[in-house]
Amino acid sequence: MSGIRQLFSGRWSFPGVRIPVGERAGLSSTAGFLALVVALFACAPLAAQAGSTVPNAVPPEGTYSGKDVPQPIEFPHDIHAKINGINCMYCHTYARRSKVAGIPPTSKCMGCHSVIATDKPRIKQLTEYWEKREPPHWLKVHDLPDFVHFTHEKHIKRFVFDNPELPVEQVSEVCAFCHGDIKDMTVAKKQKPLTMGFCRSCHEANNGPFDCWKCHK
Amino acid sequence: MSLDKMKRREFLKVLGWGGVGTTLAGCDMPTTVTVQEGEEEVVAYLAPEEYVIPGIGVWYATTCAQCGSGCGVHGRVREGRVLKLEGNPDSQVNRGKLCQAGQASLQAHYNPDRITAPRVRRNGQLETIGWDQALALLEEKVGPSSGLAGERFAWVTDTVSGHQAVLLKAWMEAVGSRHHYVHEAVNDAVWRAVCRDMLGDENPRLRIDKARVILSFGADFLSTWGSTVQNSARYAEFRTAPRGVLVQAEPKMTVTGANADLWVPVRPGAEGVLALAIANRLAAEHGRDLSKLPADVQQQVRAYDIDKAARITGVSAEHIARIAALLNERAPSLVLAGTPAEGHARGYDNVAAAMLLNIVLGNVGKTLESGAGFPFPQLAAKTGGNRELLDFAAALESKSFDVVFFKGANPVYTAPEALKLKEKLAGVPFKVAFTQFEDETAQQADLVLPLRSMLEDWGTHVPTAQPEQMLISLQQPLMEPLYPETRGFGDALLALLKLRKAPQYAAYDDYYAYLRNAFAALPATLKQGAISDQQFWTRAVQKGVIEVGAGSGSLTARVAAFTVAEPADQGRPYTLVPSAGANLHDGRYANLPWLQELPDPISKVVWDSWAEMHPITAAKIGAKTGDRVRIESDHGAIEAKVYIYKGMHPDAIAVPLGQGHEAYGRYAQGRGVNPLKILGLATETKTGELAHHATRVQVTRIADKVGDKLVKLGGSEAQLGRKLVATVTADVYARTEGEA
Amino acid sequence: MSLENILTDWSRYRKGLEQGGFHDYEHMWGMVIDLDKCTGCGACVVACYAENNLAVVGKDRFADGHAMHWLRIERYWDEPDLGEGRVAEYQHHGASFLPMHCQQCNAATCEPVCPVAATYHTPDGLNAQVYNRCIGSRYCSNNCPYRLRYFNFFSYYESSWPAPLHMQLNPDLTVRDKGVMEKCTFCVQRIRAAKDKAQMEDRKLTDGEFQPACVQTCPTSAMTFGDILDLHNPGKGVENTRAAALWRKHEVELGKTRQTKQDPDLRGYRIFEGLNTDPKVLFLERVREV
Repeated sequence: MSGIRQLFSGRWSFPGVRIPVGERAGLSSTAGFLALVVALFACAPLAAQAGSTVPNAVPPEGTYSGKDVPQPIEFPHDIHAKINGINCMYCHTYARRSKVAGIPPTSKCMGCHSVIATDKPRIKQLTEYWEKREPPHWLKVHDLPDFVHFTHEKHIKRFVFDNPELPVEQVSEVCAFCHGDIKDMTVAKKQKPLTMGFCRSCHEANNGPFDCWKCHK
Repeated sequence: MSLDKMKRREFLKVLGWGGVGTTLAGCDMPTTVTVQEGEEEVVAYLAPEEYVIPGIGVWYATTCAQCGSGCGVHGRVREGRVLKLEGNPDSQVNRGKLCQAGQASLQAHYNPDRITAPRVRRNGQLETIGWDQALALLEEKVGPSSGLAGERFAWVTDTVSGHQAVLLKAWMEAVGSRHHYVHEAVNDAVWRAVCRDMLGDENPRLRIDKARVILSFGADFLSTWGSTVQNSARYAEFRTAPRGVLVQAEPKMTVTGANADLWVPVRPGAEGVLALAIANRLAAEHGRDLSKLPADVQQQVRAYDIDKAARITGVSAEHIARIAALLNERAPSLVLAGTPAEGHARGYDNVAAAMLLNIVLGNVGKTLESGAGFPFPQLAAKTGGNRELLDFAAALESKSFDVVFFKGANPVYTAPEALKLKEKLAGVPFKVAFTQFEDETAQQADLVLPLRSMLEDWGTHVPTAQPEQMLISLQQPLMEPLYPETRGFGDALLALLKLRKAPQYAAYDDYYAYLRNAFAALPATLKQGAISDQQFWTRAVQKGVIEVGAGSGSLTARVAAFTVAEPADQGRPYTLVPSAGANLHDGRYANLPWLQELPDPISKVVWDSWAEMHPITAAKIGAKTGDRVRIESDHGAIEAKVYIYKGMHPDAIAVPLGQGHEAYGRYAQGRGVNPLKILGLATETKTGELAHHATRVQVTRIADKVGDKLVKLGGSEAQLGRKLVATVTADVYARTEGEA
Repeated sequence: MSLENILTDWSRYRKGLEQGGFHDYEHMWGMVIDLDKCTGCGACVVACYAENNLAVVGKDRFADGHAMHWLRIERYWDEPDLGEGRVAEYQHHGASFLPMHCQQCNAATCEPVCPVAATYHTPDGLNAQVYNRCIGSRYCSNNCPYRLRYFNFFSYYESSWPAPLHMQLNPDLTVRDKGVMEKCTFCVQRIRAAKDKAQMEDRKLTDGEFQPACVQTCPTSAMTFGDILDLHNPGKGVENTRAAALWRKHEVELGKTRQTKQDPDLRGYRIFEGLNTDPKVLFLERVREV
């Protein structure tokens, strides 16, 4: 590991790099690489985020101003996670078991909402989907390029379950590393750049792996 | 074994009917688009099973239906899509392994040319209709109201087994028809007939693994002949120290021949003479006692000493002597005979002469074991050959049928042109094709009913060649049907049966319900302590197979009457060898792009047909590799590009099967030629099989290699002194790794 | 930038395994292919297409040498030496089949020539190709003595996977687009999944926990895959693997350009070993009766 690390050390630290969004660039193609290079030099490094509330962890650096994404149901993250204090992993239950955190299945929503707040318009909308036996078609907010292998389970393990000083109730602080303050949002919006520089800043600070094939596929 | 360990840790799951996970279209599907913030759709499951986790593949057991071998498979399903197949280690047929066709069945399932809805012929054109209309039409044409006598109905299928075979038989009995033609263009029908007559069992188990020497007269058991994955595992065993010796005698080198320690070219049709000469040598040189053989057989053996046989067969006396010495020296041995030996007017006699060697060498009961004793004969695989095709055509000739059903078989493609099958079919008032694709036969049909793929359907399969522990293999759907307007074959049969015998079958809503009931009715001894039918079913589907015990029965060697004939070689100068390969088989895999792009093991040609010939033949014709030649028989001509190598008998011209489709989708259509088309209609005397290796042809060079090229995997044909494939002699091997 | 890296690290980079090697290796995935069991059938090739999203290029592009088969089976016709210019009339010895996929060389010639360091050696001893870094200079394939790197001269996404064929695509790896070099990875997605799983369960990998697609499907089990790190570093990688046992049995050592076997008749050999590529695929010679 150390070999590769030295090979690249200090030369690839570009926090806050942005990959052009929504552009149909040939994945893992020459065009894609050139776009990345252009982006590397075009973007000024953004201010690093200072301090962390998670012990034994240094969060990645960078901010991003994502677009508003219209969802089929205007899901209020704030009511669930902030006001009612529901653990992120209660709904995104796959995060600790799989590479993807997953959108909760409709049955999970109905587990509560067949009795709770059934008169609210958004819940009525949900009930309608459930009765039609058709899950809502959400739009993906936090998308990574296809050439990136990211696994939620290992990050959750490292920062939550293997972190003796972080109670699992505070998992949202770890989620916030990459997803921002979802607790304060209704519909999720991208707040972190999720670029290679962003990932790297965290891997560097927390002694994460540096082998290219760990994350690139 | 560690592979088993791995598989057991991945949880093998069972799907109930209707419990198939939703296909999450768009989820985690590789694309060439990079970041799609707020654009890509993600669809969550509605109410998934607890074990279904996005991002993690779940393995399900099912059965491969690409051929009749019945290999067990595990399919990896993620986000509702089946992504990859592997062999099921629990199935003793293939023990965790899979051939190229099994791997490529994914492409039959996801094929872009699948038929998605029923079609009916109106004004000469096939028009899309709904299943309601299709069923109404079926009721009108084949229901009791059709008023047709049972004998007016016929089925043409490929190998069928399991409960589909039971339902098909039930339907035949319900209408009162005997006309079920099982047609396989690539088959071992003559071998089976000889085994029946000389061993008392038409499907003996081939213990390749137990043999010390194998002599194969063109039986391509590693590639196209029999249960090839099962054979391959036994072959690996055979090649493990103490290492067995493989001798292959055939007019065109097959994959098995390419792996032989000694490959000898035989003049087409002279296999029987070669076998007799080996028997002669065994008696004359090695003192084998032939006195118990019937007098006429003894006389035939005496008639061919090795020098005479060498003149007739083209195999040198030295080689014949060496083969006889090998067989004498190392026991047990195993003598096999395949398609090239069978496909002549006296093919039966060729195979019988080969079988005689097994009897003389005492192989019966050692490397040839009884395959009898499968406790459910009604489920056993029903297979066939080309005789069924000829019989079917003859029946059409006499206008015997009003309704013909097709499933699996594609006779319009596999029938020789001289049979005029297409024209004869035109005289059948109502033809129904159950198929996934619009192949040549479906194009002639009046009603085309789209089937589910093997990965979407329920079923049971019984292997054509049972392993030591006999089994029934289960097929379950691994994903939701891609097209809602398709039906499973079992469901279609059930619908047909309900037209005739509603009361008996009314209890079954669908084929799944029928299967559940059939499994509940299995004897308690098979249920291995399951506390309920549900538990038994769950275990069976999870494992993918149920073992039904070792077979019983033994073989009794008996030399049947046979008279070997020398090849006559009349008419045109060369014999056409329509050679089957594992990639395209009899043409049924030609619509799978992976198999089209997989180079032929011998010639390394892709996406095309070619004509194989020996350098001597090529010199006579004046052709070089890549040149175009015209191959003409009495019944037509085909053109192909030449591939020259020394794995041919100079009298033979080999053209591979599988290409030359006039339909069958974008990957198959209009590519290469179909050698079956120019075959003559001569038959094998004793079995009535088509003498498919007996057509004489004239070959003329018509053009240089210009334009359409012969495309093959690049590189040189020889190693040129580079140590790429290094070899070691068997003596050295015996010393270093030998009898450890 | 990477050129500077490579110049600086060149000598370290070429350091053989016996001197400690360039990496602090975690594993060293290797393979053994028994040519006496390989029948040349091609099941492994199709398994590779299915597992690794390999594009089907069609006849014309195949003719141009653009086929993307990471694993190909070469077939050679050998002429036995009869002496005095005599040539055999027939192919009595059959054919010689050779499955060839990336040899995952420890001193890979493809690696140092990449101008953007898109190809490098992983701590697993694999010869990695990072697709999104690749700019398509094709220096690596030019430098590969085995010709086992494949270049996307065109974009095959539309032509190779018309709907619904694209639903078969394996989401564990990308579809490579035009301008990218690709190659056999020993099914790194399976390696990664197995390692992740072991890590999640706080345990070490075990032999046979996963296999590349070709090895798993091979009808004659001619291929054996496993960690061979403990040949040189006992106790470091996955121990006592069947693959390592075969390397030991055939007395083939890594990091050598010429083997010094006690018994020179043992079947194990590596292709083009003399070029100092240090390949990690061990072939066992085909046995011939005569």
